[in-house]
Amino acid sequence: MSTIAMDSSSSDRGADNTIEAPGERAPLVLGKHDYGTVTDTICGIAEKAEVPKAWKIAFVASGMAMAVLFAMIGYLFLEGVGVWGVNKPAGWGFAIVNFVFWVGIGHAGTLISAILFLFRQKWRTSINRFAEAMTIFAVMCAGILPAIHVGSVWVIYWVFPYPNQMAMWPNFRSPLLWDVFAVSTYATVSMLFWYMGMIPDLASLRDRAKGRIQRIAYGLASLGWRGSQRHWHRYEVAYMLLAALAAPLVLSVHSVVSFDFAVSQLPGWHTTIFPPYFVVGAVFSGFAMVLMLLLPVRNWFGMKDFITAKHLDNIAKVILVTGSIVGYAYSIELFIAWYSGNHYEVFAFVNRALGPYAFAYWIMVSCNVLAPQLLWSKKIRSNLKALFMIAVLVNVGMWFERYVIVITSLSRDFLPSSWGTYSPTWVDILTLVGSFGLFLHLFLLFVRYMPMMAMAEVKAVMHDTGLVQPKPANAEKAEIATAGVENPAGALLEFTDPDAMREAAGKVRDAGYENWDAYSPFPVHGLDRKMGIKRTKLPFVVFVGGATGLLAGTLLQYATNAVDYPFVTSGKPLSSIPAWIPVSFELTVLLAAFGAFLGMLAMNGLPRFWHPTFTSKRFARVTNDRFFIGINADDPKFDKKQTVTFLAGLGGTHVELLEGE
Amino acid sequence: MSEVPEQKKGSDPTLKPIFPPWFDRVVKLAGLVAGIGVVYLVVLAVYAGSPETINVGYEPAQPIEYSHRLHVGELGMDCRYCHNTVETAAMAAIPPTQTCMNCHSQIRKESELLIDLQESYTSGKPIPWVRVHDLPDYVYFNHSAHVARGVGCVSCHGRVDQMDVVRQVEPLSMSWCLDCHRNPDEHLRPIDQVTEMDWVPEEIPETLHARLREEYDINPSTSCSTCHR
Repeated sequence: MSTIAMDSSSSDRGADNTIEAPGERAPLVLGKHDYGTVTDTICGIAEKAEVPKAWKIAFVASGMAMAVLFAMIGYLFLEGVGVWGVNKPAGWGFAIVNFVFWVGIGHAGTLISAILFLFRQKWRTSINRFAEAMTIFAVMCAGILPAIHVGSVWVIYWVFPYPNQMAMWPNFRSPLLWDVFAVSTYATVSMLFWYMGMIPDLASLRDRAKGRIQRIAYGLASLGWRGSQRHWHRYEVAYMLLAALAAPLVLSVHSVVSFDFAVSQLPGWHTTIFPPYFVVGAVFSGFAMVLMLLLPVRNWFGMKDFITAKHLDNIAKVILVTGSIVGYAYSIELFIAWYSGNHYEVFAFVNRALGPYAFAYWIMVSCNVLAPQLLWSKKIRSNLKALFMIAVLVNVGMWFERYVIVITSLSRDFLPSSWGTYSPTWVDILTLVGSFGLFLHLFLLFVRYMPMMAMAEVKAVMHDTGLVQPKPANAEKAEIATAGVENPAGALLEFTDPDAMREAAGKVRDAGYENWDAYSPFPVHGLDRKMGIKRTKLPFVVFVGGATGLLAGTLLQYATNAVDYPFVTSGKPLSSIPAWIPVSFELTVLLAAFGAFLGMLAMNGLPRFWHPTFTSKRFARVTNDRFFIGINADDPKFDKKQTVTFLAGLGGTHVELLEGE
Repeated sequence: MSEVPEQKKGSDPTLKPIFPPWFDRVVKLAGLVAGIGVVYLVVLAVYAGSPETINVGYEPAQPIEYSHRLHVGELGMDCRYCHNTVETAAMAAIPPTQTCMNCHSQIRKESELLIDLQESYTSGKPIPWVRVHDLPDYVYFNHSAHVARGVGCVSCHGRVDQMDVVRQVEPLSMSWCLDCHRNPDEHLRPIDQVTEMDWVPEEIPETLHARLREEYDINPSTSCSTCHR
């Protein structure tokens, strides 16, 4: 199979890889890239001393905005929530609007990294790391707002169930508590997913770093990853399981956020459409944010070969689809309000469209429903400026959607005598601005110092789709460099091509070696079978974790709310299994995710910061573009001379002996 | 693409492995220490943070060395002689200097211990007694509701008749309040015995408690607004 990127039929399309010929996938990496140039490009961003001027300006500006956020939070703590615009009857204001907005932004990251992964959408590999980082920073912004809006922020830990001198337990039948569990689980699992995906790429940075601090920092962060195939095997299983856990999790999070509203009885909130409507809106705004950040970063750091027109086109299409679903939700809301025959419900929606907050409603409709419809046009989808503008509009619209939902329903409820108005104070507005500062500041730090693209995954896709031409195995004997090692810890054979290594691995196994391994910058598919690696027991660990979470979560709620602290609220039964589902579910996912991540590390024997392979000077390229087979000296068949001769005939390029401890 | 292009930036071949072999043992040890540290912190937070540890035994020095042991234990004065509002008001009154002077204008007039008392009496400046049993401001506790319904002073304040300096003997935590609100029986006694420090029931406790609950209509509430209004 020839490389698609070099095909004449592909190259004459230029940079437009959005049109796919029937039966042929468009390449997802453009330009003449191989494994080494991918590493060079992505690691180069973190290694370069110079950064684009635009990055510096954005970094300073967002830093100042972030400082404003912290100043506003400090002011809030000193003065109390009276500095905000919240008051009777609108007791929820900007804090909740911003919270829902930021949690929603986060959803695109998990959707791209988990759900697109499960659907085998290979185009995600160029943007998933980036989107996952966005998720984490957005969830951080989101987490701050409800935490500071409680008033007595110094006792915020009361929301967690722990034995205390008040002999009280939180009310697990309240959606606000479900929210605590949903958002904190989401933040934790997203972090695990992000970090786990980054370990091989951090190892790439480690192996190229020159400065002492960089070497130690990346060295510690990569946990001694050495690309072992036995590790990759468990790693891939763990990654898939985490994706499978994160997929329902992300759907649950915004559903639970919508319960904060839908479980109450307020007109305009108390509707069953809320969970799907919130989830889709979250994905919609999240993708718009991905696009908004992707376009400048792609420009600044020269990522056009990886974030291609195809990627942008796909994102635009997701925005178009989710935007249309959001539009459908808006119209269904109006229909149901009318169809319900409930005066209060009808009024709530008439009030939204025509009342004092009509401006917000119509900003919402025009930005969220009308603007994305422009994306039907291919011309607009391929116009970067237009895409950026639409992304900005969608984010404005989605922020106003939350404003409309929170404010209109609260400010005019059942009794006209209790009506009021809400307007934000300068503290509210600066807090919102500051939250953008925090988000962007962290994000800019991330793109500068961390591997912002999943190199290992991109390389795996390049290999699997044949973008890198296979090199025939070395017919000659490999170069032997074994002088000077008296008491070796093992022998190492180097390859330049993964397929050559895969063939050689079969021969090593057939020769009867047991204690050996293959090392590669990305998981070489089919290699574990050649090596005779048995399927990992990791899924069982994950199952045990999940079962423990489910059991512990359910017991916790039963013991606290039905037995130890029997307290009737809003007429719900003490033992209320439906009300326990969200928290039990979140704890199931949380412990299962810990099982996947920690189980993977433990079974792989990581972190392990020193390994005989690290004594090889050539082995540093194992996280870049070279492939190795290593036989350990403690293998019963290992014999210094014989093993080296055997390895030299396997089609690799270089054999060496590894020094011991 | 016949040959992989040489790596533009590779690891410096003169560099040694980043971490020496012993580093892994250090990491394991550090992990163990961190694990023990976390357990220690949890234990510390549970024990050191509990009101039993922090609040029980609070025994501030008072401006005048007044002894409850002497006045109550030896002389047999009733609590209500000084804390006279306890049956009818939320607060148990701290006696003004005049209450002390009811006796001390005659007794031990010359004692050195009473110089500050005399001083307060002549100047009219009250004695700055230090409050021992102090509930948070968001708790509405009412003495009369308890004392007038058969809860003895000793239940919350301990054997004041044996203390030279008054000491807090109960944690006064919310769970401690709730313990009694949920199971008030063992703290009930006939109303005329509430100030007795060493009272023991003459009847079988179970029948007495049942009778008193019935008689005084004891039905303590545990809803939030009982104490937090």
